[in-house]
Amino acid sequence: MIRASGLVLGALAAFTAYLVAMAPVDSVQGVIQKILYVHVPAAFSAYAGFLTTGVCGALYLWKNDERYDRTAIAAAEVGVLFCTLNIISGPIWAKATWGHWWVWDPRLTVTLLLWFIYLAYLLLRSFTEGSERTARLAAVYGLLGVLAIPLNYFAIELFGGAAMHPDNLERDSLGAGMRAPFAFSVLTGLAAFWHLLMLRQDLEARRLTEALPEADWAAEAGS
Amino acid sequence: MNVFLAVLRKDLLIEWRSRDRVVAMLLFALLVVVVFQFALPGGVTPRTRENAPGLLWVAYVFASLFGLGRAFSLELENDALSGLALAPGDRGWVFLGKLVSTLVILALVQAVTAAAFAVVFELSLLPVAAPLAGVVLLGSLGLSGIGTLFSAVAVGTRFREVMLPLLLLPLLAPVLLGAVRATTALLSGDELPFGALQLLLVTDASYLIISFIAFDFVLDE
Repeated sequence: MIRASGLVLGALAAFTAYLVAMAPVDSVQGVIQKILYVHVPAAFSAYAGFLTTGVCGALYLWKNDERYDRTAIAAAEVGVLFCTLNIISGPIWAKATWGHWWVWDPRLTVTLLLWFIYLAYLLLRSFTEGSERTARLAAVYGLLGVLAIPLNYFAIELFGGAAMHPDNLERDSLGAGMRAPFAFSVLTGLAAFWHLLMLRQDLEARRLTEALPEADWAAEAGS
Repeated sequence: MNVFLAVLRKDLLIEWRSRDRVVAMLLFALLVVVVFQFALPGGVTPRTRENAPGLLWVAYVFASLFGLGRAFSLELENDALSGLALAPGDRGWVFLGKLVSTLVILALVQAVTAAAFAVVFELSLLPVAAPLAGVVLLGSLGLSGIGTLFSAVAVGTRFREVMLPLLLLPLLAPVLLGAVRATTALLSGDELPFGALQLLLVTDASYLIISFIAFDFVLDE
């Protein structure tokens, strides 16, 4: 499964890179507009990661199956990775087009808050002892993080700064010739998310099984 | 319900006898006021008065971090946390008991801090005292609601003093947005903005319900 997803990702990435290089340059924004092909897929993957963490946390609390917990930690780490990429690529584009590195508009603020929330999730996991307690506490926090998304959008729409971030997915908002590279870059982003998720989940599973011989040795030494 | 009253009474009794939380939170809040004075040199200007509501809520949030942390760390002695977990009935009642006891202590600290702010920033709070108390209560409900849940989460970790702010602060955005807007409107003599109240009510309801339910999983010792 991992090798297959890796091969698919490799092929998609190569093809997408070619498409992006061949894509037309935006007449108004110039070549900086091509950050879109990295920034938007990163955002989709980040949100996919956070949603997965929340849902797997809920499933863990319900079914008590540690495989859900493994997926949750994997999705959180990969989500934070893509969110970081999102938060770095965004301001680079913003400075070139809006003239500001950062504005407190709804989407930026919520994404930043989510980044903090899931970083705190990762810290919570590393500071908690006992795998069952870690899984339980992290599941509660991850779930709250996901539920905070609509609440935060509601809050910041009411009072945040004016929405500056472009609304995406409008019909024909992309110029001619940009639809294919954009579609493929989103596909590649999601394929990257999937592949990294599978890798990280596999690592987590190995970590747990390979720890067992050590546990035996420690138990023998103690007795 | 009995569990709720028992936990509430126990915590308030402990606080009455030792007064450690109230004193620490109060001193901290007043120190924050002093720090703000140094951070905003130039005395009281219309601009600092504009920012006073925001600064007041910053002081409230920081003071509450103290009180919330102590809510469960005091249960670590003699394994009292297991005792709480074994309490009959829904563990959500333990959560409510802790929440209300924290709110009572916080209310005391908030009142004194508001008075200090009124003195330092030359605000007139008495005419709006009742609606202001209402707004502060709404904000504190949201703050203490998830704060109490995360205090129980943090107490199970290695660095609980550090974990509580890290877990809590990102999720306080809706509470602070609503509370600061409402407080600003009150202090400048305007009507309470409906949007801010609506936000506070929705946030408080969501946070309290979720915390009540999630507490069962958190206190599973």
